[in-house]
Amino acid sequence: MTHLSRISIHNLLPAVFLGQEEEAHIASSEVWLRESFTFERGKHYLIHAESGTGKSSLCAFIYGLRRDYHGKITMDQKDIRSFSIADWCRLREHSLAYLPQDLGLFPELTVWENLLIKNNLTGFRTTGWIESALEELEVADKRQQPAAHLSIGQQQRVAIVRALCQPFDFLLIDEPVSHLDQRNNAAVGALIAREAREQGAAIIATSVGNDINLPIDLRLQL
Amino acid sequence: MKNLVSSLLRRNISALQMTGYALASLVGLAIVVTAVRFYSDVRSLWADDDSFMSRDYLIISKTVSGLGALMGANTSFSTADIAEIESQPWAGDVGGFRAADFNVYATVSMGGKGMSTALFLESIPQEFFDINPKGWSFRPGVDTTVPIVISKDYLTLYNFGFATSRGLPQISEGMIGAIPLRLSLSGNGQQRWMDAKIVGFSSRLNTIAVPEEFMEWANGIYGEPGSTTAPSRLIIKVKTPGDPAIATFLASKGYEAAGDKADNGRAAFFLRLVTGIVLAVGVVICALAFFILMLSVWLLLTKSRDKLRQLMLLGYSPQSIARCYYIIIGSINLAVLGGALAIMFIVRHCWKGSLESLGIEPGSCLSAIGAGIIIMAFITAGNFLAIRHRLRSDFFV
Repeated sequence: MTHLSRISIHNLLPAVFLGQEEEAHIASSEVWLRESFTFERGKHYLIHAESGTGKSSLCAFIYGLRRDYHGKITMDQKDIRSFSIADWCRLREHSLAYLPQDLGLFPELTVWENLLIKNNLTGFRTTGWIESALEELEVADKRQQPAAHLSIGQQQRVAIVRALCQPFDFLLIDEPVSHLDQRNNAAVGALIAREAREQGAAIIATSVGNDINLPIDLRLQL
Repeated sequence: MKNLVSSLLRRNISALQMTGYALASLVGLAIVVTAVRFYSDVRSLWADDDSFMSRDYLIISKTVSGLGALMGANTSFSTADIAEIESQPWAGDVGGFRAADFNVYATVSMGGKGMSTALFLESIPQEFFDINPKGWSFRPGVDTTVPIVISKDYLTLYNFGFATSRGLPQISEGMIGAIPLRLSLSGNGQQRWMDAKIVGFSSRLNTIAVPEEFMEWANGIYGEPGSTTAPSRLIIKVKTPGDPAIATFLASKGYEAAGDKADNGRAAFFLRLVTGIVLAVGVVICALAFFILMLSVWLLLTKSRDKLRQLMLLGYSPQSIARCYYIIIGSINLAVLGGALAIMFIVRHCWKGSLESLGIEPGSCLSAIGAGIIIMAFITAGNFLAIRHRLRSDFFV
């Protein structure tokens, strides 16, 4: 599997913002309607946004979940609109990791099963690695509990571990620490930074205020 | 460890719905395969020429009325009559019975007793024979023995009417070929003795039949010169057995059908009709069961929509998710197929006895099994396609 090195956006605008091009939140955006901008492998990006300005939409566009945008997104020069379902499945298994804002855990499965369901697909992590990651984020004692019984902050940490259970060139994390305190934020930041460094991957994080504790190469205002 | 996915998805499957579907399709499929099985069993009734429901041949003659016979009315069929019959939509080939235009006298010695009788002979084209006995040919000048086929009814009459009352031995079909028979042919100022041999019995032909070649040859020598007799009986190959138009036509022309073939035809027609209705009911139930399954699957996929999206978000392909459903539905359908075939075999066991007592050869079970497999394959394929389509359309929001 060759590495994915560049994700570029060209004149990108969510379809829902069509007709609002002159409004302040779009005119001043460093992402929307930008003629061209490229996220590069190995760098850390933090996208600052106010609620409702489309940061989750941006993640969903890049991850191939939604296609209701104008403009163009390319991955290594290839327009992602041309990607097939199989292409996307391959990317999600090998190149793109994603922490959705709603976490996407299966509430009826235990913490451990939630992690395995991803790792079984990729076969990327050892049981030992998963256990130590849970330890590191202080949720190891919850591993046999159904995800539904965890607090939202605990769920967030489990979802972060799950997002890391795969090889990736780009890690999209949508408000990764929105429910975490400073101490946990630091732990999550350290884990993510270390794993991204090991894989030479880029991090694209979003935030509405509670920034992830991570060295950032470029901050963008959405 | 993929079963984590299927166990996750299985939680949304309603056992009640699946049981409802399984029962409905079991009933539908069982009716269909049983009806097909029954059809292939009783089909031999009208496929077999020798059976009581054989109606694909009709032997007709003109009605002999008391007065007409005395007046010497012509009961033979003219060329125009034959052409008219041939033009009927239900009629196929028409063949005439050709009568001997000379005197025939037969003698037989059996069990030490001699017997002699005046006889008549007829021939019909070979294609109308229901049997193809060994030695059924005659080469004038070469063969000295005349092969004869007689109606099965004659043998019955002899065995149970004549032989028992006269103290003569009863004879089987196999034995009769060994009985020495001599024919005296006379007419046109000539006479000769010939050996004859009964080579077979026909249940279709109510006559004493000889090969056409013999009849042609013998009529040429012993018949009145220049006389060509019109056939007084016709054999008709019927294209649409059981067709009510046949009876109407015969009645309007004053023709009579030999035996009670028309009634048998009607019985066969109703049997076919009833089987068809049962089959149709089974198909309808199957179709309804198919829709229940479709609906259940649709409901299931809708209920599981978030999970399915989440799984695809994790990188699971629609195919790999669909496979979980394929396995579940495939095994239910396979079980239903097995159950339906089992029911078919059990039910068949109940009618097998009565069929055998009627002397009917049981048909093959392949068509019933084939029908079951084909129907189930269609239902399963339809479901698989629907699931696949639905999952793929859920991939992008």
